[in-house]
Amino acid sequence: MQEATFLILTALANGSQHGYGIITDVQEISGDRIRLRPGTLYTALDRLRADELIGVDREEIVDGRLRRYYRLTPAGIKRLGAEAARLRAHATAALTRLNLAAGTAP
Amino acid sequence: MTDQASLERRYRRLLGWYPRAYRQENGPEILAVLMACAPDGQRRPGLAESADLIRSGLWMRLRPSVPRSARTVRAAVRLMYAGAVVSTVNLIILLAFIGYIRAYRAMLGHRLTAAQVSQLNTSFITLAVVSDLVPIALWLWMARENGQGRNWARSLSTVLFGLATLDLTGAFRTPVIRITVVPMLFGPTVPVLTWLAGLAAVWLLWRPASTAFFKPEGFTQAGHGVRSPSRIRSSSSRQPRHL
Repeated sequence: MQEATFLILTALANGSQHGYGIITDVQEISGDRIRLRPGTLYTALDRLRADELIGVDREEIVDGRLRRYYRLTPAGIKRLGAEAARLRAHATAALTRLNLAAGTAP
Repeated sequence: MTDQASLERRYRRLLGWYPRAYRQENGPEILAVLMACAPDGQRRPGLAESADLIRSGLWMRLRPSVPRSARTVRAAVRLMYAGAVVSTVNLIILLAFIGYIRAYRAMLGHRLTAAQVSQLNTSFITLAVVSDLVPIALWLWMARENGQGRNWARSLSTVLFGLATLDLTGAFRTPVIRITVVPMLFGPTVPVLTWLAGLAAVWLLWRPASTAFFKPEGFTQAGHGVRSPSRIRSSSSRQPRHL
């Protein structure tokens, strides 16, 4: 799973969000490192919808503009959980080995 | 015109890179996000932002969008794109060999029979190139239409595959489509490879698992409310070609 995809799913993990909300949320989660461009975001959203990992929660009109809110589907929740566990396992392995290396270094 | 209106107009123009059905469904929403992201006073889209929209729009037009769950259809679409790639490589090889063919003709011209000479003239080579382009176009078209779950495309793919089979076995072989030099070098490899890709694609398209992704009522015009989360797309077959 690509990092942007992971972050988009993470942005939706505790509730539905609209497109602009996802962009700002991903920026926050990534510590300002990743600022999704709208074209990239919607390409990813379209793929995630096609894969049925996310769905449309509701639509609102705010100031005459359409806002569509997305939410994780059960499959999306499962997928994000699995990916997060995998990343954690890798991160743990890396940190463990670094600590061991540090412990044996002079 | 206010800054905002002028920016919006330019964004709308950029959204023209997206396929119409996608734009009708998602254009207003993307536009809202673009406008929300724009700082006050911005009059025109930035370069990187424009490039991102153009790239995404083109990708939407080209990419296979069969959902992951439709494994058989995805595989069939991929095979069709592979068929297009092999056919394209074949065309490039033919083009590369045109110079060689011409030199061959100049060298041996006086020893060739009239029929062989006629096979090496420009109009013949043009015909060979065009007859290469047709299967490429068919592969791409069928990949696209099947990928969108159109049942007629599945049937048409099967018919095209049947024609390709006849073609491969020589039933439709016309003497004009034989170049003496190039087939000697490559033999029937490419036609057989693409035929196998077509066979596998057609087989996959008719698997029970694929059938669920083809809309039995035929293609519904994309419009309000029709947008399904998954714009299903699959593929089709195409014909082998030979030089």
